[in-house]
Amino acid sequence: MSKVERRNVRVVREGHGANCSSIGSVIDTLFVAQVAAGALFAIVAASLNAQDASPDSDSDAHKSTDPLE
Amino acid sequence: MRTRVEPWGAWVRLDAPPALVALDHEGARAIGLEGGDVWTSTTPAPSEPLEAHVAVTSQCGVGCDGCYLDARPDGAHVPRERLEKTFDDLARRGVFTVAFGGGEPLMRPDLGELAASARERGLLPLVTTSGIGMTPDKARALRAFAQVNVSYDGEGEVYTAVRSFAGAPAAERAMRLLHDAGVPFGVNVVLTRDSFPSLEQTIRRAYDLGAREAQLLRYKPAGRAAKLDYVSKRLTREQVALLGDVVRRISCEMHPLGFRIRIDCAMVALLSDVLYERAAELAALGVFGCEAGAALSAVRADGRAAPCSFLDPGDVVRGKEAPCDTCALRKVCRGGCKAVSRFVDGHDGPDPECPRVVRARSVMAVDGRRGVRGGGC
Repeated sequence: MSKVERRNVRVVREGHGANCSSIGSVIDTLFVAQVAAGALFAIVAASLNAQDASPDSDSDAHKSTDPLE
Repeated sequence: MRTRVEPWGAWVRLDAPPALVALDHEGARAIGLEGGDVWTSTTPAPSEPLEAHVAVTSQCGVGCDGCYLDARPDGAHVPRERLEKTFDDLARRGVFTVAFGGGEPLMRPDLGELAASARERGLLPLVTTSGIGMTPDKARALRAFAQVNVSYDGEGEVYTAVRSFAGAPAAERAMRLLHDAGVPFGVNVVLTRDSFPSLEQTIRRAYDLGAREAQLLRYKPAGRAAKLDYVSKRLTREQVALLGDVVRRISCEMHPLGFRIRIDCAMVALLSDVLYERAAELAALGVFGCEAGAALSAVRADGRAAPCSFLDPGDVVRGKEAPCDTCALRKVCRGGCKAVSRFVDGHDGPDPECPRVVRARSVMAVDGRRGVRGGGC
């Protein structure tokens, strides 16, 4: 099986948040050095390759809008 | 790891580092996913939310002036059976996280059990609390949640000015108890013209009390806040103009400490001048503007589904009115907060407090008085 490469990672939403009234997004990454965002994508790709690949979702497929469109 | 196949690839929820990740087809295949019909079908299908906000009670003993739910001391807890059916439905639809709110969730004796029930279904449970009524036992019970957020708009009088009751000591005590119990927590800071001047001090105080992130929330005209004094509580235009620099400064100061800064979906429009050139980066970092009825869904205490906690049940209209129609940020911002536009303008139009919208409307008003039509001579 191939590995997840940095180029395969389209979006990384950091953290899980915990607000119950409006959806929150980490913003500080945008304001620190650009290298931080690049490093984040690389870390995520490495983490995905180290994970157990078996998905635990019982919802097999959905159709949300493209996160970059 | 929880996954959800999409036409463009797949969403993946990671626990370490905690993140929601969008992979393209190749990346999804690399972790063993196969999209089948979803990747080959050309038939459009409705979106499903990534996150749901569920009111678990309408009971709250405080009565904040700006409560978006109009929670009251005589409110009722949502029956557990109904909540578990809601969790079943959300899990079936592929939702990743469920944030408990209310009312004051701490007033439920079964909060930890509800979190466990959500986890059994693959949902990641989160909770927001005022901290009032927190005890060492309750703090330990909150270990069942992936994260807890404590409402904290500032120290002492600042908090009181926002919520009309002196709740800062209770929130600070709750943070100490959560810290002692080893529960990861953040704070929610509502930005009003009273809380904004001391925002940096508030963040530093929360950090000192053990918080590891802060979510900055825009004050919204919903519930008890949907009245005329909204305009005297929201940020002034001068404060909105300063907001970008303040958020940048706090981010640069707190990021090296491992303390994260979040903005809520309604804040993207207020930060449009600072963020305008960075729409692609925002999208790649999964920063969400108004996702009401799209990536976000809400379930009210009466069981009715709504686009978000601030909007009544029903569809959100996403038009392309000027100036949003030509705005580079529109794909992220998505027109700004609909709770605000409905209250101020009476429909789901451009966010009337977005600085770009404010400027465009003032130009249109001047042109209208001059009789300029269509930009011609």
